[in-house]
Amino acid sequence: AGCTIRAFAWHPHTSKFAVALLDDSIRVYNANSATIPTLKHRLQRNVAAMAWKPLCASILAVACQSCVLVWHLDPTSLSTRPSSGCAQVLSYPGHSPVTSLAWAPSGELLLSASPVDTAMLVWDVSTENCVQLQWFGGGGVTYLAWSPDGSKVLAATPSAVFRVWEAQMWTCERWPTIKGRCQTGCWSPDGSRLLFTVLGESVIYSLSFSEYRGEMQGQVGGSKTASIVADLSETTFETLYGEERIGGEVHSMVWDPSGERLAVIIRGNPDVPESPTVIAVFRTRNSPVFELLPCGFLRGERGAQPQLLAFHPCFKKGALLTVCWSTGKISHIPFFFVSAQIPCFSPGRSPVAAMASASVREQPLFSEL
Amino acid sequence: ILDSFNDLYTSYVIFCILLMSVVILVISVFNVEFYAVVPSIPCSRLALIGKIIHPQQVLHSLVHAVMGMLVAWCAAVMTKGKFQFLAVPCTCSESLDDAVPQMCLNEYHLFFLLSGAFMGYSYSLLYLVNNMNYLPFPIIQQYKYLRFRRSVPLLIKHSCVESLYLVRNFCVAYYFFGYVPRVWISTTMDLHIDSKLHLLDTLTGLLDLSLLYHAWLCGVFLLITWYIAWLLFKIYATETHHFPVQPTFAEETDQCLPKILNSNPPLIIKFLALQDLMLLSQYSPVRRQEVFSLSQPGGHPHNWTAISKECLSLLNDLTQRLITQQEAAAANGRAKQPSGELKISPQTPGAIVTEDMSFQLQRSNVIPRAPMPSLVKSSLLPLKMSPGSDIGTPFSSPVSNCKVGVLDLNSPWHGSVQSPHVMRRGPKLWTSHSDLQMNGSHQESFPVLSVARAGSEAVQPSFIYTWLQNKQEQIKSFLSKRVLIMYFFSKHPEASIQAVFSDAQMHIWALEGLSHLVASSFTEDQFGVVQTTLPAILNTLLTLQEVVDRHFKLPHVSSKPPRISGSLVDTSYKTLRFALRASLKTALYRITTVFGEHLNAVQVSTEHKKRLQQFLEYKE
Repeated sequence: AGCTIRAFAWHPHTSKFAVALLDDSIRVYNANSATIPTLKHRLQRNVAAMAWKPLCASILAVACQSCVLVWHLDPTSLSTRPSSGCAQVLSYPGHSPVTSLAWAPSGELLLSASPVDTAMLVWDVSTENCVQLQWFGGGGVTYLAWSPDGSKVLAATPSAVFRVWEAQMWTCERWPTIKGRCQTGCWSPDGSRLLFTVLGESVIYSLSFSEYRGEMQGQVGGSKTASIVADLSETTFETLYGEERIGGEVHSMVWDPSGERLAVIIRGNPDVPESPTVIAVFRTRNSPVFELLPCGFLRGERGAQPQLLAFHPCFKKGALLTVCWSTGKISHIPFFFVSAQIPCFSPGRSPVAAMASASVREQPLFSEL
Repeated sequence: ILDSFNDLYTSYVIFCILLMSVVILVISVFNVEFYAVVPSIPCSRLALIGKIIHPQQVLHSLVHAVMGMLVAWCAAVMTKGKFQFLAVPCTCSESLDDAVPQMCLNEYHLFFLLSGAFMGYSYSLLYLVNNMNYLPFPIIQQYKYLRFRRSVPLLIKHSCVESLYLVRNFCVAYYFFGYVPRVWISTTMDLHIDSKLHLLDTLTGLLDLSLLYHAWLCGVFLLITWYIAWLLFKIYATETHHFPVQPTFAEETDQCLPKILNSNPPLIIKFLALQDLMLLSQYSPVRRQEVFSLSQPGGHPHNWTAISKECLSLLNDLTQRLITQQEAAAANGRAKQPSGELKISPQTPGAIVTEDMSFQLQRSNVIPRAPMPSLVKSSLLPLKMSPGSDIGTPFSSPVSNCKVGVLDLNSPWHGSVQSPHVMRRGPKLWTSHSDLQMNGSHQESFPVLSVARAGSEAVQPSFIYTWLQNKQEQIKSFLSKRVLIMYFFSKHPEASIQAVFSDAQMHIWALEGLSHLVASSFTEDQFGVVQTTLPAILNTLLTLQEVVDRHFKLPHVSSKPPRISGSLVDTSYKTLRFALRASLKTALYRITTVFGEHLNAVQVSTEHKKRLQQFLEYKE
């Protein structure tokens, strides 16, 4: 609310991203080219989410009010207004508004979900066939996240239940939470750990899954209970500018694709008006044991609240966090470190640094456990 | 309610239930006999009519009509009431003081039986027209019960609506033709027509609500049971079957995946094997290890060789087919050419270029056309020669030939050169199947012949042959002016495009399986068995991609058929070509994303290298 940017999506392989604005247009920015195509379509209203198709040059799926639009853009074209003919309309009766989308990491299937529809749709985009995945209880789907190894899908519902589906035979496990609905979640790169937060609680939960092997057909393999890995309730920090109280509920959370950095938007105490919304960055490691260590905080300009977070999918020198602020600015914050994982291949160019300046205050914090 | 339960135990009902299970059995037998994994798409109206009057189809319709009548009879008998018997005592017999009351025809019963037969026949017709014998494979795997449960509500709704339409159609038919069976039955069985009751082939007779309701209900019941039988058959037939990659017992050798792919099994087995390949390449590290393993004494990668050879030959097959189709389409629009013209192709240094001649089929007199890129020809030819080479190392020859086939792109071929091959085709007003076959077979034999010949010689066709060709062309042009003939013979463009891609599901799975295996071989292949075949795989994929891209530029190919959501019948065979194009691109991107810059070290032709670079930069 109160932000001109509705949705943001990085391309999974190149330095290209799409930004959905309040006027229902989408702009595609490319680090390698100066043209900025603007995408408009008469069915593109109330864009809620966007996702680029993996293993493809430029196919963008957009979740709109009444349908899902799949734009087939020409990656080498220099036109600034691709025609509406490039967009494929995927609609299904009763499935609107569409608010979450997720592509399978192997690039073939698209999942679309709506909070009012109790069925998730699995689309085969090229043939426009869809399969409905129905379940009972819990309402629609508010948040979708596909694990990077392609084996599991998190589907959060508006009630105090979320489901984890396994993507081979499409069976699911139900996880009732205690207090509220699952607000946000993110997967580790190998799909073995799910970090999620619950509305109304200021903790981060972790759920581990057994390693996926092909013989385990039809089982999600989740552990029995989730464990708390981080407590983000309010604490007071001594800073150069005096005492600061930081902490509260989590608004959204993203995990860097190498599994090394976790960024969390923490909404301050709603009762206290000056309580800031900050981004907390944690250093994480998933193997051999899971480790979560606080790394620092990010704050924008005065009066700017962070709204959307995204990590660049293949930043070779560490991690690149993109923040969309409520003032309409988008800033890219690099974290330079040597990653322990095998780097993924991408064209040998580093992306353009910050588009707008952001004041970053980093305070290294370590706590001994 | 107690009464109806009591009724259930009467012998009538049990007999009827037995009879209906027999009906379902017969229907299922027909489902099994008639299924097809590759839909047969009639390309012209004549082909459609031919399909309908085919004796197999006639048998299918007859049996379904009889089954429909049986079901209707069972339903009528179980309902009791006025439908139960064919002959009932007449109501107007009091006036005639006979000792034996006369038997009249119960027209309601007759109406019921005939409506059952009509519904059976319509079901059979719809089965044919909608290609219901086609088995679509699902896009995601699910347990059978879930698939069944998911389809049932739609099935019930569809049956209700369709039954309504069928009852309406039958009423119209009975209104016009109802007197025929009535008169026939009453004369043969010596029954009188009851003059008190309304005759059913009048409007007042037909607007009997209870009659219509009962007919509709019977139709719903019939359709639901038959559709459920069809649905269950589909679900069970397309279930994934696990084929072992490495046979553990000697008896299983015939069932293992590489063997099945290489032999020529019935099409459904091949489909299931390819589907299993696709699934194992994505989800099963253990079975992937078996694919990448070496044989025990000797160290040959038999499994990988067999699997990749089969996939690549499938893809090459498709490439050939598409090229043939494209050339047929290109030659279609040519004006009539004088048949005496012939030019000898110039001799160019290097026998390689003469091999290219076999693929030039365009005459540029009318419209100058860009030559088919030489990479297509050069990459197809070595692979064509591989069937002749020994099976043991099928990939060494293509690799070495590819090196030979890297020729300069500015080939000395110019537009004015024609090959003797072009002579035989002649201009066409439409393509007929025999022409395509002839051209296809010529193409396949020609490269082998041209390699054998040192240089290309001009072949002078005999005079009689040209005279026959002329006559044939004249007859064809005369017939084409008759509108009625053209109405039946003209090929529906959308249908003929679908027919080319009708078995593309196999190729889609081959692409996905192959690309997933290659991508996972980057980390899992311990012996490097995939690396030696990488040039051949990349060649095939890039060639196919080029041909598919060119095919999509033809008219009608890139337009999507209108999608009807919520229909029971699966029409996914109509959009298979889009799925093929998308999965081909995804397969290439999968390989380039995993290998990245390392792909530059693989030996491919320069043209292919340029395209690979486009893929690496995500510009394709």
